[in-house]
Amino acid sequence: MNGINDKINELKAISQNPGQSVAQAIKDTGKKAVGCFPIYTPDEVVYALGLLPVGMWGGPSKGNKSSKYLQTFCCSIMKANTEQALGGDYDMLSAVIVTSFCDTLKCIIEDWKIAVPHLNIVPIVYPQNRKSNSGKTYFKAELKRVADELAEITDTSYTDESLAAAVDLYDEYRRTLQDFVKSVAEKPGLITPLERHHVVKAGYFIDKKDYVPKVKALTEDIRAAEVPSDRQGLNPIVISGIIGEPDGLLEVFDECGFTVVGDDLAQESRQFRTIAPNVGDGFDRMVERIAMQDGCAFLYDEEKRRGRMIVDLAKETGAVGVIFNQLKFCDPEEFDWPLVKKEFNAAELPYLYIETEQQMDSLEQVRTSIQTFGELL
Amino acid sequence: MPERAYMGIDIGSSSSKAVIIDRDAAIRGEHIINLGTGSRGPADAIAKAFEQAGITKVDRTVATGYGRILFKEADKQITEISCHARGVKQLVPTAETVVDIGGQDAKVIRVKPDGRVENFVMNDKCAAGTGRFLEVMSRVLGVGIDQLSELADKGKPGVNISSTCTVFAESEVISQLSSGSSIEDVALGAHRSIAERIVGLAGRVGIEDDVVMTGGVALNDSVVQAVEDVSGHKITRLKDPQGMGAFGAALYARDLDN
Amino acid sequence: MSEQKTSKELLNELLETHYDNAMKVQSEGKLLAWCTSISPQELLETMDIYAVYPENHAAAIGARKQAPDFINYSESNGYSSDLCSYARVNLAYMDILQSEAGNIPRPDLIFCCSNICNTVLKWYENISKELNIPLIVFDTPFNHQYEVNDQCTQYIKGQLLEAIGKLEQITGRKFDHDRFREVMKISSETSKWWKKASLEAAAKPSPLNGFELFNYMAAIVCARGTVAGRDLYKLWYEELRDKAAKGLGPWKDEDEKYRVMWDGIACWPYLGLTYKTLKKYGINMVTSTYPDSWYIVYDVDDLDGMARCYSSNYVNRNLSFGADNIVDIVNKFSLDGIVFHSNRSCKLMDFRQFEIQRQVEARTGVPSIIFDGDQTDPRAFNPSQFENRIQALVEMMESRR
Repeated sequence: MNGINDKINELKAISQNPGQSVAQAIKDTGKKAVGCFPIYTPDEVVYALGLLPVGMWGGPSKGNKSSKYLQTFCCSIMKANTEQALGGDYDMLSAVIVTSFCDTLKCIIEDWKIAVPHLNIVPIVYPQNRKSNSGKTYFKAELKRVADELAEITDTSYTDESLAAAVDLYDEYRRTLQDFVKSVAEKPGLITPLERHHVVKAGYFIDKKDYVPKVKALTEDIRAAEVPSDRQGLNPIVISGIIGEPDGLLEVFDECGFTVVGDDLAQESRQFRTIAPNVGDGFDRMVERIAMQDGCAFLYDEEKRRGRMIVDLAKETGAVGVIFNQLKFCDPEEFDWPLVKKEFNAAELPYLYIETEQQMDSLEQVRTSIQTFGELL
Repeated sequence: MPERAYMGIDIGSSSSKAVIIDRDAAIRGEHIINLGTGSRGPADAIAKAFEQAGITKVDRTVATGYGRILFKEADKQITEISCHARGVKQLVPTAETVVDIGGQDAKVIRVKPDGRVENFVMNDKCAAGTGRFLEVMSRVLGVGIDQLSELADKGKPGVNISSTCTVFAESEVISQLSSGSSIEDVALGAHRSIAERIVGLAGRVGIEDDVVMTGGVALNDSVVQAVEDVSGHKITRLKDPQGMGAFGAALYARDLDN
Repeated sequence: MSEQKTSKELLNELLETHYDNAMKVQSEGKLLAWCTSISPQELLETMDIYAVYPENHAAAIGARKQAPDFINYSESNGYSSDLCSYARVNLAYMDILQSEAGNIPRPDLIFCCSNICNTVLKWYENISKELNIPLIVFDTPFNHQYEVNDQCTQYIKGQLLEAIGKLEQITGRKFDHDRFREVMKISSETSKWWKKASLEAAAKPSPLNGFELFNYMAAIVCARGTVAGRDLYKLWYEELRDKAAKGLGPWKDEDEKYRVMWDGIACWPYLGLTYKTLKKYGINMVTSTYPDSWYIVYDVDDLDGMARCYSSNYVNRNLSFGADNIVDIVNKFSLDGIVFHSNRSCKLMDFRQFEIQRQVEARTGVPSIIFDGDQTDPRAFNPSQFENRIQALVEMMESRR
């Protein structure tokens, strides 16, 4: 157990101090860092250019600088990112890739071009018709445009080989995390929901090459360990939504006797549950991977598979219920909920819907909801 | 003096209520104090309830309400959602739905036959649909919150307070008043507005008869009437709608003894 | 006699027929599609598929103050009150199928173009799933560059061609390219007359009261590809031109004192109230960002041009274009002020608005105000706040004279 704790604490420290971790990674690798927005970014391209992709999923910032650009009903992750950009927290980045998966993000790109031009904003628009020929052709061209723009800004270059190697590394990273979350489900209660979250999140702030072996070692230790008797009998659940934050939220999970055995979070499993098929060059593999990535609120899915996928995940992992953590003001997720709920009802899968923001002064109402969910199970 | 005694303590943000019951679930002592978590309210409420029951100790205690976690003396802490459901089911065995409107929260709870929670929904962080909304209304109308119901009884329907935002609703009320609506009509409109929100919330879990209303706002006849009108369901009320949390907690405390 | 009819009468007739026919066509064996407001209706018109527009319909329900019934229904089903109110109205209408604002039947297919927002993708993805009907998505990538770039043009064109294939499959009929050319021509002409009419408001005083623009908009949405639509806007243009030539202003009983534009969608439940509040201060809303949104003009047979057009409406363009566009409007229409609607339903318009306001003010010196509202949900608008801000605008406009 000590080995596990050490490994977790190391990753947790990386995850909890993004600024420091990224500065250290820049120093260790000698690479320039490029910020990567939610929900999906072509990290493989960044990596192939010899740059360090860094995740930008909000943070604890709650100031009021962002209100120069955004009304109050803007999602808290985008407000926090804007706050941090205006506060200079991202000045260590050589460029920032901003996506346009929702209407809010489209505006964020435009606002940032004006508010923080020194961050070298590189917009990317993923196709919604991602399975059709026209969509795939477009996406490949868009990926190349982004690669060229980044290359020029950072004075770097890529080759077919460096891109193929980056896609390989990312697939390994994805397989590693798939295996990690599987091992957590095999030993429910062994590590806490918050620890699970930080292990996954740490991957956003260091070089994937250094991150992968750490997670592999931890996964091995988890498989070899026994769940202590005082950690047995917790309610295994699946969590869905954008993000498992603030930290206090997952602490409440633990305090109320829940353990996370699976997730459908945009920041976690949606990043790594789909592996690139082995067709064509590096760009083709990235294009095909997104074409296969279903059940995500941000990618048009004519079959609306999400609800069914969560139900299946719950069955596979032995979860007794689902907690749907709705990030307030996130339209795409809000649109999915009524249909996802129908699937839960049809499958008689117990669920709890909570609405949170990334920064919350009080978690008391949420705690009451989660505790009650435990009481009714 | 009862042979065995069980206590439920409901510690809210602005009040504390203790209920002591015996083996047959009969109430032997109860007391409410308008001081909430972090004050001497809980201790005082317990002392008075002990005095009334004529005892110096209880066999089991369950704490509920927002202050439940800080109350270390309890054998168990259970949410007010479960406790309200349990208390109501004990008194109204036919109850299927509990509508609880408190100062900060509004909840609609579906109850299982055994008194446990089947499903529930709470208001979002916006205050519309909670007691807080009524507090703001009473301040703008310049009357006590306990006078709102009587006032609304004399009101004519037609004034519509549609804003979901409490700040907007406040200025909506002011402009209603300045355009000549009476405070009676506005009070009725405000109650209607709360009822619309609650019934909307209830739609997410479904309303089934019998419907019981609890929480402080259940004391307001006009709101209860408005919820009946909007939902089309008859509402059952209890003598002590604010005491259900503590009573339910006491029932859970009794369970612990079995 | 039809030639004596005013454009207003034609408009009302056209809309009435539009809704009447909608209820009939399916029983006559025709397919009916629900479409987003700026979608390539040319394809449907060519295939003889009847198009109706839920945004128009939701706006009409909003104007009748009936939106809360639908909104409450959707919210009970789990839709958040923070979502677009058109979507909340329509997702309820899909089940309720009955409104005081006229009815539209359930669709056989959906035509959804993301040039107005990504919200429509989610909204119609749900309807397609719930009703188990085909959804054809035209994805027009947001233009972060100033112009629509080549890869986007090719992508949209590719989708138009793919859609033709899908429509052939759905209807079992061949796509008639001659008819397509005809429809393309009519559609472009209708757009030109619409724009020409709205430009007449540049005259001082303006012959047009811009709230009429909100009413006339219903038909540019639903009749752009029809001869009746084209003739309506031609007539409207002629009426406005004659009125302007005579020097007539927007009102008989009031002079036009100030000229403003309205940014964003109307507050349909408070259309009368917002109109009267402005008029009370002699403010004529002479234009808005609507006229250009349906200026979809391209050469017949030019699919590249058509593809670019459908991606070129201002909400799908970057902030620099948005600011240039409004600066241009300020100059062209000799505006004294701007009213920005911070529309709770439309994050795509809202989250650029503060910066656009700053840029436009810096470049033109024209004062502006932002008020909180919503396109159909009456709960997010406050009449006294609105009037207060309008008064403030009047004071600012006055001090510049």
